[in-house]
Amino acid sequence: MIDRAHAVATDPGKCIGCVACSQACPTKAIRVRNDLAVIDDELCIDCGTCIEACGYDAIRPMTSSPADLRRFKYTVAVPSLTLYAQFGDDVHPGRVLHGLRQLGFDETDDISWMCEMVASATDAFLSESKGPWPKISITCPAVVRLIQIRYPDLIPNLVPIETPRELAAKLRRRRLAAERGLDPSEIGMFFITPCTAIIHSIEAPEGLEASYLDGAFAITDVYGQLLKAIKHAPGSDSTEMISPRGLRWAMAGGEISSMRNANTITVRGLRDVVYVFDRIESGTFQGLDFIEAYICPGGCVGGQLTVAGRYLAQRNIRQLARRMGDQGAVKEEKVRSLLRDHFFDIESEIRARQVRPLARDLRRAIALKREKDALLERLPRKDCAACGAPDCETLADDIVRGNAKLTDCIFLRLEELEGKQTPQQGGDDA
Amino acid sequence: MNPDEPTTPRDEPLEPRTIEGEVLYKETFRIVGNDFEHGGEAAARVKAILKQLGFPTDAIRRLSIANFEAEMNVIMYADEAEMEFAVLPDAVRVTFADRGPGIPDIEWAMQEGNSTATPEMRARGFGAGLGLPNIKRNSDEFSISSAVKVGTTIRYVVYANSGSGGAR
Repeated sequence: MIDRAHAVATDPGKCIGCVACSQACPTKAIRVRNDLAVIDDELCIDCGTCIEACGYDAIRPMTSSPADLRRFKYTVAVPSLTLYAQFGDDVHPGRVLHGLRQLGFDETDDISWMCEMVASATDAFLSESKGPWPKISITCPAVVRLIQIRYPDLIPNLVPIETPRELAAKLRRRRLAAERGLDPSEIGMFFITPCTAIIHSIEAPEGLEASYLDGAFAITDVYGQLLKAIKHAPGSDSTEMISPRGLRWAMAGGEISSMRNANTITVRGLRDVVYVFDRIESGTFQGLDFIEAYICPGGCVGGQLTVAGRYLAQRNIRQLARRMGDQGAVKEEKVRSLLRDHFFDIESEIRARQVRPLARDLRRAIALKREKDALLERLPRKDCAACGAPDCETLADDIVRGNAKLTDCIFLRLEELEGKQTPQQGGDDA
Repeated sequence: MNPDEPTTPRDEPLEPRTIEGEVLYKETFRIVGNDFEHGGEAAARVKAILKQLGFPTDAIRRLSIANFEAEMNVIMYADEAEMEFAVLPDAVRVTFADRGPGIPDIEWAMQEGNSTATPEMRARGFGAGLGLPNIKRNSDEFSISSAVKVGTTIRYVVYANSGSGGAR
């Protein structure tokens, strides 16, 4: 397995070793050891839940730095549609694109029209697909990672159509290279991201050998400067290509709202995603064609690296789309011809990532499972996380794998101490 | 993508070879008739255990489909059942023994499309008459016996590495 450079990192100077992130983590990937949160690469899906849970600003996204821009002759900012939604409903996307160029990017690349194209391509794919149903969008990279590690059976359900951000970057890079006589490697394309999941999808993509993007800046990183640029150097870039319908992809529900197939649902937020995937996997969730699912409640506007917050951002996007006419900008013949050329196809297979079993040998694994069950009987089941694992079951798991010890449990340690001092008495007189 | 969906009919099992194999691990679950609220939970727990034990993904997938069908059969038709789940050296064996109406014509019930489901069950997406055939199709060994007004016992085995069924 490749070494995964993750999109989140703990700052040892800021982490106080509380257990907020460990308890919040949906895949139980965080342990607190020696007052420091440690993230398990194998289990992390880069959803960014820990960033939100941390009250000490100790978990940071691994974004690009301005120095990364200087590695390239020509730079392009590829803003998430969520960026348009950060400045109120009266700041038109054209002004945001103009502002981005004031920050030093040579060019910008709007992806709203590609969102609309992908919606059309998804419709075409659904009408030809033979299942298994329902098909699941790969737009949210954290959803894809979750499926890889926790729902490997659902991998055949993933729609094998690349995401709008990657497709837009692929097309723009190709065009720029031709038009400006640049080597593709001289062009730096940087996503302006609302979340950590996309940062990681650029570092270690699924469905692609290599990302068409070169890095990512967080919306929170560029917001201040961009706001100034919009105010002090007013101007607007062309918005001819912007698809009002595509803009809605910033919000949960946007993807299906631009599709023809209506036998679809939107699943918002990690808890609901787990609820629905559990049921699809067990077979009690049938009869649907397509699911768009987002780890963040509200979709991309709810990303951890945003400023406006998901409610205002939703309002802003809706208003912008409405003002711009709320219609499509994409010609269907164009989509069909690109489909024939396999332009939308993912380029490599998305594979399950089996999370390590207790042991490779079956008899050994069974022995460890028994041991784990026995340990769990002894643990207090308070799930207090003081041991550094998020709950008692995970501690039992860590112990049988040799990564923790029973005395990490403060309840058991207390029992031991009390047992030594006053045998038979327990802790009744505490 | 996995091209081998469980829709392709499997060959009839050869001589049952592991149905009486050495049991390394065993758990039993009680399934209660009409308990739709907890429908699928036993199947989900078995799946979680097999993941921890490192069973191949494809074997877990096929077994889970069979387990879910069998569990829902009990919930829809029987009073109650004991589900025994046994891990053998190279396979998993599951036995559902229910107390219920029994199946008068097993051959009929084993054909796709035949179902005694009520309209309510069909409204929930069940009763397509695929339950028993689906269990057989997703397992490597299958046996069924039934006595009317007493109950039905089904037993099936999924091999860890069966070769057919698209092991990944």
